[in-house]
Amino acid sequence: MSVQLAVFLENHPGKLESITKALAEAGVNIRGFSMASEGEYGVLKILADDPEKAYRVLKERHYTLSRRTVEIALIDDRPGGLHELLTTLSSRQINIEDCYGITLEEGCRAAIVLDVERFPEAEAVLRENGVRLLGEGEQL
Amino acid sequence: MYWELSLETMERRELERHQLRLANASLARARRSPHYGQALARLPETGLASLRALEELPFTGKSELRAGFPYGFLAVDPEEVVRLHSSSGTTGNPTVVYHTRGDIADWENLIARCMYSTGVRKKDVFQNMMGYGLFTGGIGFHYGAERLGVMTIPIGPGNSKRQIWFLQHLGTTVIHILPSYALHLAGYFPELGIDPRRDLKLRIAFIGAEPHSEAIRRKIEEIYGLKAYNSYGLSEMCGPGVAFECLLQNGLHLWEDHFYPEIIDPLSGRLLPEGEEGELVLTTLKREAMPLIRYRTGDLTRILPGPCPCGRTHRRIERIKGRSDDMLIINGVNLFPIQIEKTLMAIPAVGRNYLIEVRKVDHMDRLEVKVELNEDVFRGTLAELEKLQARVVAELRAELGVSPVVKLVEPSSLPVSEGKARRVYDLRGGLG
Repeated sequence: MSVQLAVFLENHPGKLESITKALAEAGVNIRGFSMASEGEYGVLKILADDPEKAYRVLKERHYTLSRRTVEIALIDDRPGGLHELLTTLSSRQINIEDCYGITLEEGCRAAIVLDVERFPEAEAVLRENGVRLLGEGEQL
Repeated sequence: MYWELSLETMERRELERHQLRLANASLARARRSPHYGQALARLPETGLASLRALEELPFTGKSELRAGFPYGFLAVDPEEVVRLHSSSGTTGNPTVVYHTRGDIADWENLIARCMYSTGVRKKDVFQNMMGYGLFTGGIGFHYGAERLGVMTIPIGPGNSKRQIWFLQHLGTTVIHILPSYALHLAGYFPELGIDPRRDLKLRIAFIGAEPHSEAIRRKIEEIYGLKAYNSYGLSEMCGPGVAFECLLQNGLHLWEDHFYPEIIDPLSGRLLPEGEEGELVLTTLKREAMPLIRYRTGDLTRILPGPCPCGRTHRRIERIKGRSDDMLIINGVNLFPIQIEKTLMAIPAVGRNYLIEVRKVDHMDRLEVKVELNEDVFRGTLAELEKLQARVVAELRAELGVSPVVKLVEPSSLPVSEGKARRVYDLRGGLG
């Protein structure tokens, strides 16, 4: 179980940049991110090395944000790797609300960030199937 | 050219004596209502000695009307009421206005008088593009036109291509339309291959329900090839038909056999010398169900000096300059910013700060409401934002009767309030 930040952003030039600037200045490393936009506004998901600090930094700058619990699954970076992970979840009717992937070392490992409904159950299912999940506080 | 020659051209001194008689009768009727029974308790039984003495009486405002909901201003047996009109809004009490059969007959007659004075006759075809329903604009003209004997098409506003089809195929000669909608509608002619000056039979337009400039009027006349007459009214008095332009198009004759006008300084409440600009205050002279004494309209204007060459002796007011309060008129619909605030604050996911912007887009008014999110409720998904945006639009539309554009914004993009925040920006630029 890990924590990612979800920041509400208006869709204007320079908005994203203002976030990366604030985090860079605070010495927070962004390990992964994804952006979902509706056109006029969007939600930026950030996986930071220090989520609490990142949260504080952005809060001080009056961003509207929340902390969301996600699962980060570490899988082999090979054909079929992601497919197997998703099949595990869908076989138990667990819906994914949001998800994105980060290649950690090419051809070796990838991290899949999963925002799923029915959290404890999802975690149990993944563990049963031998999927390695990042623990609380554990860094990518 | 006069619908009621003797009344419309009554010599001034006689008109004033007539007004005093009517004012005293109106005061006596008003005192039968719970509100005026108290507010006018000290008025002598003999009534006023002169019209000028009206100045001593208290004003009536929208807030009193709201506080008097539902029957505080009713001066007749409820059985005598045949109709109700109301302002939009579900926040707090609406302002409701009751009509007896006599009130309706008077109102119809005033509209007929207005239409007749600009040259509308029985042979005309009248397309009424104003909203029907609780709003008085559509229904008021509808019955007035029927009273005059004109074929009336109760089409209401919107559906522009159908409007044009009716204009063309029924040979409409007279329209009643919001000035902003008249300009918007004109945008459809090119694609339909219609030249309104050549292909339509329009000769007269009544424009009103929203402030507009002389330039806008001339533009409408130019586009359609007709004469456009400014119409003024408010639901508290009856609706449209309170004041109206004659053929000379120079100021609006306020029908003084039905309403007594005063112009006051909106801040001090003091009566201003004739000719000075201030807030229009009206006293109903004939209304039965709901007489109103010294009602503050909130509309800024002045009384034009001198008689009108048309022969009517009823004084003229200048076109409305604006409002003395914060009321907004969006495509003819009246609303107050407080209605928006109350609606927003009742939605938990909306933050405390918001901003209202009104601008002209393609000649129509656009109401834009910028709202912040409530951080405590924000869960961090796009879906909840889309849902919230749709909800804010729906609730504002239900409250205002106007469809707003709602934007979700970051807290930093709204001006930080220092003291009393300025939350309303009217970017329409003057009148029109």
